[in-house]
Amino acid sequence: MKTSGTMRRTGSPWPARIATTILFTVALIWLIPLIWTVLMSVRPPDESLITLDKNGVTTINIFFGSRLSPENFQAAFAVVNWAQEYLTTLIFVFGVLAVQLVTITLAAYAFARMQFYGKGVLFGLILIQLMIPSSVLIIPNFATIHGLGLYDTKLALMLPYFGSAFGTFLLRQTFKQVPLDLEDAARIDGCNWFGILRHVYVPSSIPTLTAFALVSISAHWNEFLWPLMITQNDTNRPLTVGLGQLQRTSENGALYGQIAAGVLIVTATLLVLFMIFQRQFINSFLRSGLK
Amino acid sequence: MASTNAEIVTVSTVSASARGLRPWRLALPYLLILPTFLFIFTFTLWPTVSAVIQSTIKPGPTVHSPDKNVGLQNYLDLLDPETDIGQAFPRVLFNTLIFVGVTVPVSIVLAFTLALMLNRKMRAMGFFRFAFFYPVLMPLISAGSIFAFIYADNIGLANVVIHSFGFRTHPWLGDPFWTPIAVMIVALWKQTGFYMIIYLAALQTLPGDVYEAADLDGATVWHKIRRITIPLLSGTTLFVLVSAAANAFQMVDMLYALGEGVPNDKSNLLLYFIFQRFKNRTDIGYINAITVILLVILLTFTVFNLTFLERRTHYEN
Repeated sequence: MKTSGTMRRTGSPWPARIATTILFTVALIWLIPLIWTVLMSVRPPDESLITLDKNGVTTINIFFGSRLSPENFQAAFAVVNWAQEYLTTLIFVFGVLAVQLVTITLAAYAFARMQFYGKGVLFGLILIQLMIPSSVLIIPNFATIHGLGLYDTKLALMLPYFGSAFGTFLLRQTFKQVPLDLEDAARIDGCNWFGILRHVYVPSSIPTLTAFALVSISAHWNEFLWPLMITQNDTNRPLTVGLGQLQRTSENGALYGQIAAGVLIVTATLLVLFMIFQRQFINSFLRSGLK
Repeated sequence: MASTNAEIVTVSTVSASARGLRPWRLALPYLLILPTFLFIFTFTLWPTVSAVIQSTIKPGPTVHSPDKNVGLQNYLDLLDPETDIGQAFPRVLFNTLIFVGVTVPVSIVLAFTLALMLNRKMRAMGFFRFAFFYPVLMPLISAGSIFAFIYADNIGLANVVIHSFGFRTHPWLGDPFWTPIAVMIVALWKQTGFYMIIYLAALQTLPGDVYEAADLDGATVWHKIRRITIPLLSGTTLFVLVSAAANAFQMVDMLYALGEGVPNDKSNLLLYFIFQRFKNRTDIGYINAITVILLVILLTFTVFNLTFLERRTHYEN
């Protein structure tokens, strides 16, 4: 890989040193919300991080307070059934992904390697979804789901995401790079279209499929307004909605420790995965352009 | 290279289907597309049309009375200060345009600057990538929850920092001036890392010899950034700019968590405004009209995006 870089050839080490200092400062500012959340979640609920007394003197008591306390987590668990909502999130996220992988693979193959009447028009119609994200269509989609009698079901959460223009487009580009010789060889070996798709196209597109999967999982894990609108029963609500509930129930008491615990419950999975598979996550988001 | 490949494909598949000509072979591509098309039709294409239709309707006074077709009246009402909705809507539209108009350029400039500083061999690279990118993977609602306690009046970090620097503290949430700023900070924190990563990747593809030539001419760092890096990255910038703008219109979840402090509609955003009113049966025409307005704005942005994308793929081929 060519690393050029404006900074690499700066001659004196001073600009580089200044840049590093600035970077560390900004990175620290960026990390403060996370650090703050962790600290607040594990300290006893009655010990606040900061106290501002009558004379306007601030005492900051960072770190863990007088002891490490599980109380905030216990309180958060008393309000919301996190295990249930975690399961719903998993079903939602992986249900969507499973269906998407099938739909985009089939459609991408047709658009990449088949010739048929109306191809351009159909592809254009599908690509409209790139321009109109379903988050903007919550009002008409709510009516559709209601009309189908699916309000407050897990299927209702997932349905708007089953077809993916973005995935179809991404995979079509990848399929087009697969050498035709491979397809011909498979055909001579007696493979039909499904065999070719399964043994030639899918195996050679694993990086694209992985990238799409990571982006899809992150997007739906974090979905909030749609699940909030379309579900009512706790068994159908994902983690993010649980956090919203927690937020609303503790508003008056301003139970920040409890909310901090909730934030960690909702975000921990993706953050830990990101720590482990940092490169894969970043490459996936890059590969997928903007989504 | 890729285009010649595509032509070969076309020729070979056409002849294959011509040879077969069985109905199954002809129907196959349509069957493969059917699931995707069906879902996208039901949840993207049809709802778009339906929003336009519904935006011309005024619901009757009771559930059983028939809806009235009022043409463009709902759109006019949105702008009419005499109506209930007309008092709120222009303000919310204005807020949204300010929100997008400020957060997008600021986060792009910040992202570009950070990427420039990061673009070299560094041992702490993993740390920086985590620090800047982790908010991208957080739900917006969590971001809202965290900032809700950072913005808290007395015990919130934001005011404590301001206080310790000797400035006057102010309520972040609930104040018509500070609330929009507070909301924008959440969006900046959340998105900047994403654009930074895109710039960083683009920077690494820039040709090194151009910089070497500039060094021989004795160019300064600032000169190289202004005369070489920024022009070479103009494509990336346009792409990021347009996509970020389209994205920003959808960033509203944090308002739910910051909600208690957000004064009614004074610092509300369009998509959240729609969400808040979706249960009022009488507002159905209005919120569909607002949906249509949002769709028009988004389409304008993304048509730019797609034409640009198209050009970029041409260059790559």
